[in-house]
Amino acid sequence: MSSESSKKRKPKVIRSDGAPAEGKRNRSDTEQEGKYYSEEAEVDLRDPGRDYELYKYTCQELQRLMAEIQDLKSRGGKDAAIEIEDRRIQSCVHFMTLKKLNRLAHIRLKKGRDQTHEAKQKVDAYHLQLQNLLYEVMHLQKEITKCLEFKSKHEEIDLVSLEEFYKEAPPDISKAEVTMGDPHQQTLARLDWELEQRKRLAEKYRECLSNKEKILKEIEVKKEYLSSLQPRLNSIMQASLPVQEYLFMPFDQAHKQYETARHLPPPLYVLFVQATAYGQACAHMKSSQTPRQDKTLSVAIEGSVDEAKALFKPPEDSQDDESDSDAEEEQTTKRRRPTLGVQLDDKRKEMLKRHPLSVMLDLKCKDDSVLHLTFYYLMNLNIMTVKAKVTTATELITPISAGDLLSPDSVLSCLYPGDHGKKTPNPANQYQFDKVGILTLRDYVLDLGHPYLWVQKLGGLHFPKEQPQHTVVADHSLSASHMETTMKLLKTRVQSRLALHKQFASLEHGIVPVTSDCQYLFPAKVVSRLVKWVAIAHEDYMELHFTKDIVEAGLAGDTNLYYMALVERGTAKLQAAVVLNPGYSSIPPIFQLCLNWKGEKTNSNDDNIRAMESEVNVCYKELCGPRPSHQLLTNQLQRLCVLLDVYLETESHDDSVEGPKEFPQEKMCLRLFRGPSRMKPFKYNHPQGFFSHR
Amino acid sequence: MERAVPPAVPLGQMEVFQALQRLHMTIFSQSVSPCGKFLAAGNNYGQIAIFSLSAALSSEAKEESKKPIVTFQAHDGPVYSMVSTDRHLLSAGDGEVKAWLWAEILKKGCKELWRRQPPYRTSLEVPEINALLLVPKENSLILAGGDCQLHTMDLETGTFTRALRGHTDYIHCLALRERSPEVLSGGEDGAVRLWDLRTAREVQTIEVYKHEECSRPHNGRWIGCLATDSDWMVCGGGPALTLWHLRSSTPTTVFPMRAPQKHVTFYQDLVLTAAGNSCRVDVFTNLGYRAFSLSF
Repeated sequence: MSSESSKKRKPKVIRSDGAPAEGKRNRSDTEQEGKYYSEEAEVDLRDPGRDYELYKYTCQELQRLMAEIQDLKSRGGKDAAIEIEDRRIQSCVHFMTLKKLNRLAHIRLKKGRDQTHEAKQKVDAYHLQLQNLLYEVMHLQKEITKCLEFKSKHEEIDLVSLEEFYKEAPPDISKAEVTMGDPHQQTLARLDWELEQRKRLAEKYRECLSNKEKILKEIEVKKEYLSSLQPRLNSIMQASLPVQEYLFMPFDQAHKQYETARHLPPPLYVLFVQATAYGQACAHMKSSQTPRQDKTLSVAIEGSVDEAKALFKPPEDSQDDESDSDAEEEQTTKRRRPTLGVQLDDKRKEMLKRHPLSVMLDLKCKDDSVLHLTFYYLMNLNIMTVKAKVTTATELITPISAGDLLSPDSVLSCLYPGDHGKKTPNPANQYQFDKVGILTLRDYVLDLGHPYLWVQKLGGLHFPKEQPQHTVVADHSLSASHMETTMKLLKTRVQSRLALHKQFASLEHGIVPVTSDCQYLFPAKVVSRLVKWVAIAHEDYMELHFTKDIVEAGLAGDTNLYYMALVERGTAKLQAAVVLNPGYSSIPPIFQLCLNWKGEKTNSNDDNIRAMESEVNVCYKELCGPRPSHQLLTNQLQRLCVLLDVYLETESHDDSVEGPKEFPQEKMCLRLFRGPSRMKPFKYNHPQGFFSHR
Repeated sequence: MERAVPPAVPLGQMEVFQALQRLHMTIFSQSVSPCGKFLAAGNNYGQIAIFSLSAALSSEAKEESKKPIVTFQAHDGPVYSMVSTDRHLLSAGDGEVKAWLWAEILKKGCKELWRRQPPYRTSLEVPEINALLLVPKENSLILAGGDCQLHTMDLETGTFTRALRGHTDYIHCLALRERSPEVLSGGEDGAVRLWDLRTAREVQTIEVYKHEECSRPHNGRWIGCLATDSDWMVCGGGPALTLWHLRSSTPTTVFPMRAPQKHVTFYQDLVLTAAGNSCRVDVFTNLGYRAFSLSF
């Protein structure tokens, strides 16, 4: 900068003063080539104090001159101008001097500044160096302290104690003679030994690892082998199934069943166990007689095991679910607001809920018809129900009147007297029903099955009427004691119903099917014919005027089946109202007669009609026929025809009425009337073939 | 028409059978014990039941009082008639007459004292004995029934002394006319015949059906019941129940009963009658007013 400023000032400098030029030339040679006037060099030569004095003097002179000029100007005059001019020139010279002085002062200042600056820079540089050094010193000090603090890793290692070291280490490592004296060497040796040991151990470790890998691989292989074994075993089991069937030892099936049975509720479980036991016992008994085991009773479990398992969720889960469902429910109720009726309906459904598993029993009868029973358990009510279905080997054409005989609703009604299965056997249920507005179980039996008392007994549930118990537990002994009787009753029931079924088909066609082994009960010639056989409703039976005695005796309940038969001969029409008890044929059908012939005769106005009823109702044991007694009803009907014949033919001729007898006597009778009641001879004697009195 | 229907009781086989038996039961005969405390009744199944009349008629009578004290099987066939002597109960039905001791009869397993069978002519069928009549003066028993004859039996010896023939059809009923002594018998042939016991002859015959006032031809002509009060006789059956004056053999009063009557007795100016077609014995304390029934 100083060279630039001197170059700028160069032309000015040339114009102005040439006097101090000589001093400059020295400088300019030293500094630059060429001729120029350097004022910096001049500054060094001059004395600033003297310059200051000069400055003060020049200023004074200027002031003086200015004052003189002013005087002169103020006085004015012609020579003043020359004076003024003169003074002006002097002042100009003085101005020049001032300018120079100014320049010099600037230059000095600049020089001073530069010097200061240089010095300052030097000082700064030194300062910097000092700081660097200090910093380095500090750093070094730190390093030193670090080094002093340095703990070698080897100090963290727990080396074996010295004695052990000297004992165990091999001499080329321990180098006792060297190390004993020199702790450094000793430590080194010890470290060496440590290293050696570690190496060895690392070696061992690697070996062990590889061993372990090998063993793991072996295990894998074996596991695979085993897992491949499982499907093979399964396939063997599958393959053995035909063999099992051939040998009649279905272990597999039984095992599966027992597995499922674990999830059954207690009453169903009792039933399952007892029924299986009974079935096996029967099979064993029969096997001694026939080479083939007859499967008369087969037991199976139906339903969803998963659902059954789901019923027994652990409490925490169910609580979570509850809270979730509660939240959901809240939401839904806020949205939907279900009506009270819908809520009640849901509650009812909940109360009547069935356990998802059910037990199926198949009873096979001799003629290959099967009674399928499905037992359900109603969880909240603690009762069991049953649904029944009868299938036959051949397709059954149902006659019109036989509609109710095999219907699932009524085929098992009153298996034991009075067991109509329309009411719940558990007295505690009534309170539950009241809460949800269920009047009786009767409305739901079609859907849920019938809760017969024998079903409860088979499941081991006992509901004593006298002492209502709080919890009724399933009891095996109760089930076992009832099993055989119930099974037998079921079989006889199915068979008698099927027999009736067949008979009804014939009866509807007007033919009374009398089997050959029952022919002896009747005379060869029977003229009265069965014309009509229909089923009637219970209410219709009650409305009939000639059935009042039976109704009053309490024999015409709503569990019975009612029929109307019409027997005709000539102008005589005999109506017979039949009460068929579900317990046919151990309980006989009851006949009530009404004869329309020369007036209406019933048991209230004609003793002989009463006697006819007696012949059929009271003396039914003769009409039972061979052992299963399925012929009872048809024999009764046939006897009725015979009785009508006898009645009509033995009717005494009324002399007051003209005309011949409508029915000539063809039957052989010893006496027409006997006893104070003047009974007709209704009893048929075989083989003589005549009629007599009882 | 709403009727109170009794609830159907769960009935097993036995109960149904018994109910049917009771529905078809007919009580044919009854007899009061000599002490007057018991009533014996015989039915069509051959059973005899003993009822305690004192218990049944007492003021504290309950349902059980109307049940028999003891019931036993007396005959194979129906017990058509019974009479009581001062110590015995005599019952007859299917061709035999049996005697029972009243003192023993209440004990279980009572056996008959004796049984007798009158000499019958026919052997194909044993005729029934429809009526028994005690003749206290002779100490004899008159039996009549299916063989159309009246047999007399001496109660002490048990032999059959007389056989009175005359009816053309079987005999229904007997009555004793004390004064004469005569026996009246009514039969299926529609005639009431009077027999003199000393001469063993038929003295009088009344053919009831021939009289228009009482004949009911649609019912038949048979005479079912007889009662006599020496001068008067009541008889009924097919024809209507009629009061007859015996000497003149004319019917005087015809009782308006529709059903054919089975039993009739004079008792202290009252006529007790029953047309029972049931297992019940109706006790009429006044004519036409039935007080209660004894049930088998």
